[in-house]
Amino acid sequence: MERLSDVLTAISHPTRRAIIAKLANGPARFLDVAEPFDTALNAVTKHLKLLERAGLIEREKRGREVLISLRGEPLGEVAGWVHEYERFWNSRLDQFEQYFKEKKKKEKKKQ
Amino acid sequence: MTKPGKTLEFKFERRIPAPPNEVFDAWLNPKIPGNPWHLADKFTLDPKVDGLFYWSAKGKGIYGRFTEMERPGRIQHTWVSPNTLGHESMVTLSFEKEGEDTLMTLVHSDLPDHELARGHEKGWNYFLDTMREQFADGSRLDQRRDGAHPREATKK
Repeated sequence: MERLSDVLTAISHPTRRAIIAKLANGPARFLDVAEPFDTALNAVTKHLKLLERAGLIEREKRGREVLISLRGEPLGEVAGWVHEYERFWNSRLDQFEQYFKEKKKKEKKKQ
Repeated sequence: MTKPGKTLEFKFERRIPAPPNEVFDAWLNPKIPGNPWHLADKFTLDPKVDGLFYWSAKGKGIYGRFTEMERPGRIQHTWVSPNTLGHESMVTLSFEKEGEDTLMTLVHSDLPDHELARGHEKGWNYFLDTMREQFADGSRLDQRRDGAHPREATKK
């Protein structure tokens, strides 16, 4: 569960989601990752640390460069956390509840 | 990843602003939104013990047999679908009076755990699609700077 929290924290920030989206296209160098953001490099470094802690990225040294790549598995865990039947029943029960709420509203209006 | 034979169980609760007998009847009435039979392309429903139900939507069929029917407190039926890999899972509903309302509980149990793997797969696609949507609207990275996302926060 702790890992799940780390992953959820990691994807809770738009910048980090943007980093994930960029890395989904393939590994990139740090400066390439940081370049689209109008923010200090050390802010990007902090975001990368959070992503790394959640197991979402990996750094690999290639010669003088460090390549950052995406690891998708933890995202799968988050997605799997919401099971298909959870979605199915929650949406059905929400509709069912809503039906009664609206019915009650209408009844109140009539009175 | 998972031990064979392991099953999953999900529990849901809703407080419905109506008495239990009304809620009970509505759950078995295909005309009322939210129950499994509503919006089915085709269905049969025989809500009594040993009665059968079938419904299909988008080419997918769900089958089951009722094992308990105690108006207005409890319904139990099996649930067989492609997602249960043909195994009988179990759906138990209870309706308890709470003041003027009904506390409705739905437990879906005995779901084969390997389905979770499919959930992963689907979830994955869902995730990627969401991501794609977020970045396909032309706003892309330049609008996603730190501290400058009020628009995004309210968008979804």
